Amino acid sequence: MAKKIQITNNIRKLRFFADEMTQQALAEKAGVSRQTIIAVEAGKYSPSLELAFRIADAFQVPIGDVFDYEVKGDKK
Amino acid sequence: MSYQEKKTIASLVSVVLVLAAYCIFAFAQTGMVRASLKDWAVIMLIFIGIGIVAAIVIQIIFHIVIAASIAIKDKDCDDEKINQALKTDAVEDEMVKLIELKSSRVGYVATGIGFVAGLVSLVLNAVPAVMLNIIFISCSVGSIIEGGLGLYYYHKGVANG
Repeated sequence: MAKKIQITNNIRKLRFFADEMTQQALAEKAGVSRQTIIAVEAGKYSPSLELAFRIADAFQVPIGDVFDYEVKGDKK
Repeated sequence: MSYQEKKTIASLVSVVLVLAAYCIFAFAQTGMVRASLKDWAVIMLIFIGIGIVAAIVIQIIFHIVIAASIAIKDKDCDDEKINQALKTDAVEDEMVKLIELKSSRVGYVATGIGFVAGLVSLVLNAVPAVMLNIIFISCSVGSIIEGGLGLYYYHKGVANG
């Protein structure tokens, strides 16, 4: 059986380095609601691949710089 | 609280109000025990109509209150700014669709269980009016469960997949 993975993100850090970009501004750039950005940032919602790319595009960084994963039970 | 959560609460309130009104009307009157199937059908059709009208009216009031709250928060905003704020808040993105999908699936299951319970009541020799009432109430309960679960997912988050 496949192990469960936990998706983590660096959105808060990236927003900080993007001149303290607001969640609303990021939401508008990614084409979603602020509520969704809040949920993604808090790790409450794992975005689709399309949204993940759009968020990475908003920061102009590769997707791997925004999202990472941890296999549950394993320490990377 | 997000726009979608407030919208879900507004829908829940309309369903709960109509269900409460139906229960008070249908079960508080002792004369309804001997009512014919046709009478029950008329009452249910009336309450379906009331439910649709109540849902529309509550959504209109909800939008007025939201627009007023935006105007109170930002005293310099005009109609265009309010419309823009409403538009950005009301975006139906993938998370909203996923939450709606997951909560409506559970709501349909609850309604389905009510339908089966209605049929079982007929098998157990209950009068057909009981079956009609169980099915009607289970539809409303299904909507309430759907709304409640939607609120839960908005608050706690939802897993994709």
